[in-house]
Amino acid sequence: MIFHVVKKELQETLRDGRFKISTAIVFVLLTVSLVLTFNQYQYNNAQYIEAQKNERSLWEEQGEKNPHSAAHYGNYVFKPKSPLSLIDQGVEKYTGISIFLEAHNRNEAQFSNASDQTALSRFGELTPSFILLYILPLILILIGYDAYTKELEKGTFAILKSQGISNTKLLFGKWLSVLIPIVTITTLLFLFGGLILSNTSDIGVFNWEALGVLYIVYLIYYLILTNIVLFISLIAKKSGVALVSSLVFWVLACFITPKIASNIADSKYPYPTNQEFSKRVAEDRKKGLDGHNPWSEEAKKLEEEVLRKYNVDSVHKLPFNYSAYRMQKGEEYQAKVYAKHYSWLDEQAQKQEKVYKSTSMISPFLPTRFLSMAISRTDYQSHRDFSEKAETYRVKTQEFLNGLTEKNSRYGERYVASANAWKKLPKFEYKPPPFSQILNSNTPMMLILIVWFAVTGAVLFFINKNH
Amino acid sequence: MIITRDLTKKYGDFTALNKLNLKVNEGEIFCLLGANGAGKSTTINLLLNFITPSSGKAFINGLNVTDNARETKAFLTYIPENLMLYPTLTAIENLDYFLGIGGKNFSRKELEFFLHEAGLQQEAFHKRVQFFSKGMRQKVGIALAIAKDANVLLLDEPTSGLDPKSSNEFGELLLKMKKNGVAILMTTHDIFRAKEIGTHIGIMKQGQLKYNFSCNDKSLQEIENLYLETMSLKDNLL
Repeated sequence: MIFHVVKKELQETLRDGRFKISTAIVFVLLTVSLVLTFNQYQYNNAQYIEAQKNERSLWEEQGEKNPHSAAHYGNYVFKPKSPLSLIDQGVEKYTGISIFLEAHNRNEAQFSNASDQTALSRFGELTPSFILLYILPLILILIGYDAYTKELEKGTFAILKSQGISNTKLLFGKWLSVLIPIVTITTLLFLFGGLILSNTSDIGVFNWEALGVLYIVYLIYYLILTNIVLFISLIAKKSGVALVSSLVFWVLACFITPKIASNIADSKYPYPTNQEFSKRVAEDRKKGLDGHNPWSEEAKKLEEEVLRKYNVDSVHKLPFNYSAYRMQKGEEYQAKVYAKHYSWLDEQAQKQEKVYKSTSMISPFLPTRFLSMAISRTDYQSHRDFSEKAETYRVKTQEFLNGLTEKNSRYGERYVASANAWKKLPKFEYKPPPFSQILNSNTPMMLILIVWFAVTGAVLFFINKNH
Repeated sequence: MIITRDLTKKYGDFTALNKLNLKVNEGEIFCLLGANGAGKSTTINLLLNFITPSSGKAFINGLNVTDNARETKAFLTYIPENLMLYPTLTAIENLDYFLGIGGKNFSRKELEFFLHEAGLQQEAFHKRVQFFSKGMRQKVGIALAIAKDANVLLLDEPTSGLDPKSSNEFGELLLKMKKNGVAILMTTHDIFRAKEIGTHIGIMKQGQLKYNFSCNDKSLQEIENLYLETMSLKDNLL
């Protein structure tokens, strides 16, 4: 029975000119988006590999130099592209992919794609995730909005029911026939994406497991949407009403709710402006030790402490270079200041995210969006992880450089490190968090998505039973 | 066999059908006549269990239709006034679908045979039904009854709007089915057709069966007089 319903519904769908045209458009869009994203991915990845190599060789070939000059010379660290950014680019476009590491200052990531583009880029980019999140639901609506209303309008419902088919079997048949075309398109996209990623070298840490979980997330999203579209079709009396209602839901779920959520989060936990943030950091920095300023109160205090500790009356008599020691202490204080302010920023971001995620209960789009970015490692958390690891590396670099001067010279001497010294600094190799950790931290979102499916499924089943 | 016992349907204070007692045996065609709103379609809908009775019972082949909604549908075929099919599917595909969801599967040849038996022209078998006339669609409905080997046929004003030729063809098909032992209940306004093919005629008014007689017992004129009388038109005409 169910097979016959599915077969007939698919026959009708496949013979529907609207479906043929829209599916052809989606296939073209998907192919174009995949090709464009892949090209961009390869371009960025090649740039990343080259820049990382060049940066390191520039660092290693500085020649003889004072380590603190090298610290100011600085170096760039680069975030490797996540293979699944081929599917979902998330916030990567806006967060930047490289951070300049230097003495005394913690810098923000820079060179984001968005900053390289024209104002037109604000209209959005054609990416596979855009099609998966926004366009495929539209196709799903197009297939399913009149699943029941057409039976009433064409007058086929009476003869259909007179064949003795149960409401549940009819519903299940219609449910499958709405899903099958969407699942087919999605499966093809993921298979094709997986094959591209698994057959490309220098692709980073790609695993099928993550791609599989991402695929399941999108499947659940479509299951939920199918439940909603069929529910609307069941209760609507006319196809026009069903179509408009489904489209209104799509607009609310995919566009309005995320904007409202974002505005609420922003107004409740506002972010400081760049200027404001820099001012706060500068104020706190002034209150502590500055490695370059030996005449400040904090510097005098440190000097007294060190002299007392080593039981000497002059910094010249210390067994290390006191200037470098003070510089390092200054660095440590500044790192603490940055840690304090960035941790406040992170708290704000987490509070915003909490507000944002809490709205997942009113739109299935949001948990899907969050999970998609998280699994693709292109969400804010991934950026934060990179930023934190880069800062840890910066602090260690300063410790290494100040240590060179501190250990190899005395106070008042101008130390110049040998050309080989720079090679001893370990390379920055960013290791993203393991996939299991990402899954664990996103379990609530997965649960919300499952609850959405269970609730919409139960409502659909109940309404259908009494239809 | 179709039996109703004191079958009643009320909508609030309005009684759509009042204690209908009816019996249609195998090999009989029972024609229900009556004005619009007399309760003819309500009777069909109750037999199909599309609506539940307020009181009384209806049986198809001895099974109560309310308690055995799905089982009774296996024995019957319903053809509404305007049988609508899925326009983008062919006649064969429509037939295959309706049989399939009723749990019956047939080969393509068998499906073609049923359509042929129902009198549909061969060149129409594989055409999409969107341009089919009402008569052609009715034939697909009859093919459904033949394929299901239905022994109960419920027809709701099947000949209204049919041209005389198609109406005649349809009558021939019903007689053929009657001969095969099918119990047929047909609502209609067509007194001539009822007299011609029916074995029994019932005349309804305001939800009640006013007359129930064998077609052989009355002439066409007598049936017409009774019908008009029931419709309270005869007095007006005189």
